[in-house]
Amino acid sequence: MGGILVRRLLGALPILLIVSLITFAMIHLIPGDPAAAIAGMSATPEQIINIRRDLGLDQPLLTQLADWYLNLLHGDLGRSLLLGQPVVQATMLRLPVTLALSAYALVLTLLIGLVSGILAALRQNTWVDQAAMVFAMLGISLPSFYLGLLMIIVLGVDLRWLPTGGYVAFTDDPLGWLATSTMPAISLALLLAGLLARITRSTMLEVLRQDYIRTARAKGLPNRTVVMKHALANALIPITTVLGIIVSLLISGSVVVETLFSIPGIGQLLTQAVLNRDYPMVQGGLLITTALLVLINIGVDCCYALLDPRVRYDGG
Amino acid sequence: MKRGFLAPLGLLVSAGLSVAAAQAAPFKCPHVGGDFVFGQEANINTLDQMTSSTISTRNIAMNIYESLMTRDENNHPILELAASMDEAADHLTYTFKLRQGVHFHNGKLMTSADVVASFDRYAKVGNQRSTLDNVDRWDAPDASTFVIHMKKIQPTFIEALSSFSVPIVIIPSENRDVPAQQLTQPIGTGPYQLVESVPGSAVKLKRFDGYQPNTSFQDRTGFGGYKQACFDTVTFRIVTEPGARVAGLRTGELQGVEDVPAKSVPDLKTDKNITILPLKNWWIQIANPNISNPPTDKLLVRKAIQAALDMDEVMDAASDGNYQLNVGFQYPNQPDYTDAGKDTYNLHNAALAKKYLAEADYKGEPVVLLTNKDYPSMYNAALVMQQQLQAVGINAQMKVVDWPTSVQMSLNTTKGWNFHFTGWGTQPALGALATMQFLVQPNATYKPVDGKDDPDVLAAWSDMNTLPTAEGRHQAFARMQKLVLDRVYAVPFGAYTKVQAVRSNVNGFVPFRIPRMSNVWFTP
Repeated sequence: MGGILVRRLLGALPILLIVSLITFAMIHLIPGDPAAAIAGMSATPEQIINIRRDLGLDQPLLTQLADWYLNLLHGDLGRSLLLGQPVVQATMLRLPVTLALSAYALVLTLLIGLVSGILAALRQNTWVDQAAMVFAMLGISLPSFYLGLLMIIVLGVDLRWLPTGGYVAFTDDPLGWLATSTMPAISLALLLAGLLARITRSTMLEVLRQDYIRTARAKGLPNRTVVMKHALANALIPITTVLGIIVSLLISGSVVVETLFSIPGIGQLLTQAVLNRDYPMVQGGLLITTALLVLINIGVDCCYALLDPRVRYDGG
Repeated sequence: MKRGFLAPLGLLVSAGLSVAAAQAAPFKCPHVGGDFVFGQEANINTLDQMTSSTISTRNIAMNIYESLMTRDENNHPILELAASMDEAADHLTYTFKLRQGVHFHNGKLMTSADVVASFDRYAKVGNQRSTLDNVDRWDAPDASTFVIHMKKIQPTFIEALSSFSVPIVIIPSENRDVPAQQLTQPIGTGPYQLVESVPGSAVKLKRFDGYQPNTSFQDRTGFGGYKQACFDTVTFRIVTEPGARVAGLRTGELQGVEDVPAKSVPDLKTDKNITILPLKNWWIQIANPNISNPPTDKLLVRKAIQAALDMDEVMDAASDGNYQLNVGFQYPNQPDYTDAGKDTYNLHNAALAKKYLAEADYKGEPVVLLTNKDYPSMYNAALVMQQQLQAVGINAQMKVVDWPTSVQMSLNTTKGWNFHFTGWGTQPALGALATMQFLVQPNATYKPVDGKDDPDVLAAWSDMNTLPTAEGRHQAFARMQKLVLDRVYAVPFGAYTKVQAVRSNVNGFVPFRIPRMSNVWFTP
């Protein structure tokens, strides 16, 4: 296990290097003046020129790239052009918000996706199966933005069950956090729950047809034991692999949902950074997010190795 | 020999005195308390007002900071932290006496040392530091006196000094050397002080109990006057999605919002809990030509384009019906307004357009309309203009990019576009001088050939800045506006109305360039 972990961590370094280079190239290749974006709509040319000069945006690109890597070696990701804050500070302020929202959405995804997928597999070709799959298709088909707006109108405005937007930190008020995070979490979760339900169903169906399941049933084991201990445990191996992807999708999906519900997370931060050509924020924020996603995938790999001894014996 | 003050200010002070006689007492909050939650459409990047020209920053910061001078309800310069201002007979010295007993939010008494420090910082990092270009130096002979010494006479200096575009707000002297955009704990003298700012989410202010109102006035006027904080706290919540803003207003989670989408207005009007507040003249919807790029380098082609336009159609699409036709670069309620050049406006004359095109020997060269979708009004205006130009035989093409890209292209290149779509908001509100600077170097919006200004326009601009009398400067503005419209150096479509709204239990909220939180209260 230790070997797998070390190899994966070493393998992550070139990924981060490549991501940082691609990010730098792409954000500088797209046209757009950060000074104009920062200055706002009614700014005069003088105001835009002053901002450009004050922020050092008139430096050659290679100088900016070299400076960025030099500062990175010292653990400094620069200062956001837009916020005036260090990139690390701005990111670390927002990251917990997105992680908490993603965790909540993940719990909902697992609950809805796994349960409906297992039920659909166990009741194949019944109304339960049909209903679960229709629900899954709806989840996959509805854009999270549209679903969010629908929920704002129904749950927020008409029924007044939940606030229409805003954010309360979990540490300030857990109930307030639950209230403000529920609609965004559902918006995020439904798409992925639909995906997970379909994968769980097909994996379970495949496992349930295996010889060892038939053997377990022939031994007279109760159905619950057969499903939970023998079928689900084996079905979890491919599902775990998908979970890594689901977590990545939750974090990237937060871009839209955070904007809609005014949640100050990393998605909203990076969207604003891209729209305003906040170069240091985009470069630094994406590097940190990529590192996080790489770590999550390494964690999934480790879980995979724990669940499937063949991975350990093969040496990863 | 000294001159007391500018004529408009003198008028205003007189008006203030008469109001005092009629009302007998300054404004007093009918009810104190509550948290006013305002849904703001745009994120803020900083609360460092000296270094930001954005409306979103001003929305909040102008409730925290104050300046020596500001503008009243009708955009006239008025005193704010200064009790008096004397202009020397040679017009080279301005002496300000500060109001007594004004404290900063940190409890420190404001003195002229703070004013000096504020001007020092503004000269270094201020986003509109050209305001001080003609200033030789400033000093503080005593704790309550601040003196500005000019290098040369600038008749418009007080107009520039009182501008709220990027105001010279007064900060404590200990913040003199804070770099640009890094004043993260704003301390001012305004009626509200910062509690916390959560970027991307909300900014919370609370009433400053040590606030010293300006007793020269009886009530709030513009950004100044007699201000009182009636709310315990004010929360600016960033709600960028229009639908979410409307939903928040309807549920009462938000008590006020800006920029209500036009399609929501009819529904909201039927809700007795909501008051709709149209803010007329929010900006001038405009397209700026590029006269360095064919075919708009030819005056006759530009005149053909001008003749083809139906401004009603353009503005209707741009604003969803919330607009007023408007000639030129000021609004009729402003002192600088003139309709000079009106014969060029809203012609929608296809025959005339075709005649100009024939005279120009136009061969169907593309006319590229550079616009963006970040601001739907700009995109919609371009879309309608394209249709109208195509209808008279002009090969109009759209180039749609995002806002930062369109600004970059319009500033840095004369290639690839013929009209740039934008909106002029703050500058027209500040007056003719602030607006017409868009039409001279550096970076005159019409991209004069080789960067050389039209000498006639430049001469009129020079007169606007240097003629000794207000009437002379006004005539120069009228001349400049007529030249710009006659030579089609800008195509102003009309005045865009922005719709704000509050819950019906909110009193005293009057739409203005920014949402003013002073003298606004809840019905108990």
